[in-house]
Amino acid sequence: MEARRYLKNYAAISVTEQSQLAKKRILIVGCGGLGGYLLEYLGRLGVGYITIVDGDVFDETNLNRQLLSSQMNLGKPKVLAAKHRMLAINPLVHLETVQENLTEENAASLVKDHDIVLDALDNIPARLLLQRTCKEVGLPLVHGALAGWYGQVCVIQPGEDLLDLIYGNYDIEQGKELETGSLSFTAGLVASIQASEAVKLLLGKPTLNRELLAVDILQSQFDCIKF
Amino acid sequence: MIKVNTKESNWSEGMTVQDLLDEKQFVFKHIIVRVNGVYVPPEMHAAFQINDGDNVMVVHLMAGG
Repeated sequence: MEARRYLKNYAAISVTEQSQLAKKRILIVGCGGLGGYLLEYLGRLGVGYITIVDGDVFDETNLNRQLLSSQMNLGKPKVLAAKHRMLAINPLVHLETVQENLTEENAASLVKDHDIVLDALDNIPARLLLQRTCKEVGLPLVHGALAGWYGQVCVIQPGEDLLDLIYGNYDIEQGKELETGSLSFTAGLVASIQASEAVKLLLGKPTLNRELLAVDILQSQFDCIKF
Repeated sequence: MIKVNTKESNWSEGMTVQDLLDEKQFVFKHIIVRVNGVYVPPEMHAAFQINDGDNVMVVHLMAGG
């Protein structure tokens, strides 16, 4: 059953690597546009232990892009939909759901005991908190963000502060204006790249390294910006 | 020549950050510009001159998820 489930992975991921993935523990922080796709991709792929964190419930404005949202679960916790989805698509995955938002108080306890962390948040202060926590705990962080037709992904190795270079001149007032919309395909694209970087990290393959993959799908451009 | 996001790009005498943003059609509302690693705030874009050989980084400031 398990072998057949992952049969189509094996041209790209070896049987040994598949077994390695089954033992890995990842944390997805945020269960919205990015988090829903990340859970789908990495759960279907066969990452063994996934924790997903989000204190929010679905509302109608999520329906344009958030994979786990539906007419039926408006007002319901996002992580509850995550649990139902994973049971439906891959019950071999040990999924832990945490219906809390990331805070200064819970960040360290949420992050510890994982191999890597995926940033699927929707605001800058929380992203910087997550980076700071990963640095303290010594875990790699795969960052992804989007706005409209634009997206970005980078891999932050333990001890690095790449988000400071991107968001270092951000101020709270400007942040309020940053709600520039999110499109379904941009969320799926950014999450796809994040998921692939995460798998490469888990399998010890080379990843983005001190560079930001910036995607502009309106102009069909992918730029790798070196820091 | 200058570098814009690690790619070679044409430079002209008197070119400002805003000229470059216009030429490259960086029209996104929130943009972070660094010239040789130094942050150039939006109110300086029209006045800040880019020199031949400069390394310019332009990143869209985005946070959605």
